[in-house]
Amino acid sequence: TWKDYARRVLTVGTYPQALTVYLEEFVAAGDFLVYKFPVWNWEKGDGTKVREFLPADKQYLVTRGVPCLRRATSLAYTDADEDAERLLSFTENPGAAAGDNDEWVETHAGRKASKSAGDASAIDEIPDIDGAGDEDGLIDGIRGMSVGGGVTNGEGGSKEPDIIDIDEIPDMEEDDLEEADDAAAAPKTKPVAPPAVSKSDPSPPKPTNTNLLQVRTYDVMITYDKYYQTPRVWLIGYDENGTPLTPTQIFEDISADHAHKTVTIEPFIHSTSLQAASVHPCKHASVMKKVIERMNNSVVAEQLAQRKGSGVASPSTLSPKDTTKKKWGFGRKASGTGKEVQGPAEDEEVEGMRVDFYLVVFLKFIASIVPTIEVDSTTSF
Amino acid sequence: MPLVQFAPLSSLVQPVLWHKLTDLKIDVLKLSDAAVPLTGSYTIGRTIKDRETGQDIALPCNLTVGAESFESDFKAPHGSVTAPGMLRNFNTIEEFKAVDKTALFNEEAQLIWDHILKTRDTAQLNRFFVITFADLKKYKYYYWFAFPAFVAKPAWEIGDDGWKRAHAELGIEQLTFIHSHLRNSASPYFLVGKDTFGKVKAGPVEDYSSFFSSTGPEDQLIGFVDPSADPANPGWPLRNLLAYLRALYPSSTSSIKILRWRDTEAPSPNAQWKSQIGTLTIATTTEAISEANTRPTAVGWEKNPQGKLGPRMADLAPMMDPSRLAAQAV
Repeated sequence: TWKDYARRVLTVGTYPQALTVYLEEFVAAGDFLVYKFPVWNWEKGDGTKVREFLPADKQYLVTRGVPCLRRATSLAYTDADEDAERLLSFTENPGAAAGDNDEWVETHAGRKASKSAGDASAIDEIPDIDGAGDEDGLIDGIRGMSVGGGVTNGEGGSKEPDIIDIDEIPDMEEDDLEEADDAAAAPKTKPVAPPAVSKSDPSPPKPTNTNLLQVRTYDVMITYDKYYQTPRVWLIGYDENGTPLTPTQIFEDISADHAHKTVTIEPFIHSTSLQAASVHPCKHASVMKKVIERMNNSVVAEQLAQRKGSGVASPSTLSPKDTTKKKWGFGRKASGTGKEVQGPAEDEEVEGMRVDFYLVVFLKFIASIVPTIEVDSTTSF
Repeated sequence: MPLVQFAPLSSLVQPVLWHKLTDLKIDVLKLSDAAVPLTGSYTIGRTIKDRETGQDIALPCNLTVGAESFESDFKAPHGSVTAPGMLRNFNTIEEFKAVDKTALFNEEAQLIWDHILKTRDTAQLNRFFVITFADLKKYKYYYWFAFPAFVAKPAWEIGDDGWKRAHAELGIEQLTFIHSHLRNSASPYFLVGKDTFGKVKAGPVEDYSSFFSSTGPEDQLIGFVDPSADPANPGWPLRNLLAYLRALYPSSTSSIKILRWRDTEAPSPNAQWKSQIGTLTIATTTEAISEANTRPTAVGWEKNPQGKLGPRMADLAPMMDPSRLAAQAV
């Protein structure tokens, strides 16, 4: 179980160039993620694409329906935002020459969108899928389609071929039922479409709460990349109506510094045919090393400070709060098994960050690439 | 008193399902348009806090079908409940358009109704179906979901105080108990009551007639896993549960307490339980009770993005068409 690996510390110094993750560490970190954040699940993937070095039922991690409230491109850049963009160079001393590979642009560190961009209704401008330029006629054909149109209501599809004109056709056996249903079916959202729709709507019963917004969602997968020995992230997007996003649309949700550069559309390795957007892992190891190194320093420093303090007070008086207050919450207390680990045996070495936190940190790093996709569900951590 | 309104389910088809359908069509179904079993799943409705406005945003109630939906041993992922369904794929767009949808819908509604009266199996209450046409050459998939739900006549009403926070009424201990009960059962519907010692207990809705024998009316709770995160409107799956109770136990269900279960995880110490409780009532007559076995009308075709009753289309060409993928690759 992950507990067995939990004792291993991410020994940053071991790997001179970068921080790679062993397979078993990936599985342990994945188990921890699934345990701690149940929105994540292990999946087995396509039967023909099983990668034998991973457990059959733990081929990759997935979380579905991750909301994406607004476009990364809508996060407006102003001069004031310049501070928000910072190079994560991770050198203690800014003067020290950082290797040119050691930097990673974190955009929108402050997460401030312009006012107009902040209005989630900006999302409404996504074009309808069958809006324009479909020449094959199928769409036109399908527009005339209706439920029982030919049976109960002859004028069903033929009246106005350009509009899906079936709103007046009941979706059940009798005409008067539509009304009955309207009363009991909650209006789904504020109409996304032009106001004309709401006008023609004979004042539907209003829900008392109108904050139901339509948002894009993403399925996020994490696989293990054997070549780079790091986790690798894949994205499949859906628009507000649940239809798959095109690559162009997906790139709207990726920070401009990374779209088309480190993020590309590639065959998903656990499927025979699926394509997904993926963040290329070639820099992951070195960036993760920097991130974890920096965090480790603060964690270790804090642990040391705590130890010093606890020289006066006995270790057992360390309240759980003290340990969870650490930056990023990387205290043992946060692991869910904290009680067992923390007990009287407080005399362990200062431990730094544990290996099973790897993916939690990794998600924070990924969140900088896809700033509007709420992939980092770990903030409650 | 306000009418109870239900938040409809919306379909979410993972692209991988279309890949699977393509394989199925080419290798197995070929020209057959017979019904194929398909299993979907839904989760407790999620809300998300918009970090910029601080507003809570409810995510849509999705019924998801994906890679394993065609598999007979489909198991919903942790935290989800399954919904049985079927898929009919038509060979041509003309057949897809011409199929008698009213008849198809009635057949499926009848199936649910038969289950209510005969098997009393609540796992069949959230049945759904989808008709599809796959334009394999253009990587376009036309589909139309239906989530049949029986219409209550007269409609259900809710007390003027509406849906209340469950923790105020039940207390943390009871909620924690229900939470751990649901962890071990993947059922979308459940009962909560008290045993002879006054301790809280939970069980399947199938046991309705005996389950509440030692529970006072004020402690009788009927719960369901609620895919709706909208605090004002319970999710669609409640409708058929209500129909089920009215059909089988018409004399004792004119006023019932419903628990909308909305807590995937026990909340952290600072957060509140999201589950809600409401008392639903229905005007009832002796006539209605004697007619309890007649099938009510059903509704539930999914509306398309334009808000009309019509099919949807997934265009996977950008993600599947080799020529477009090649053009896009650098």
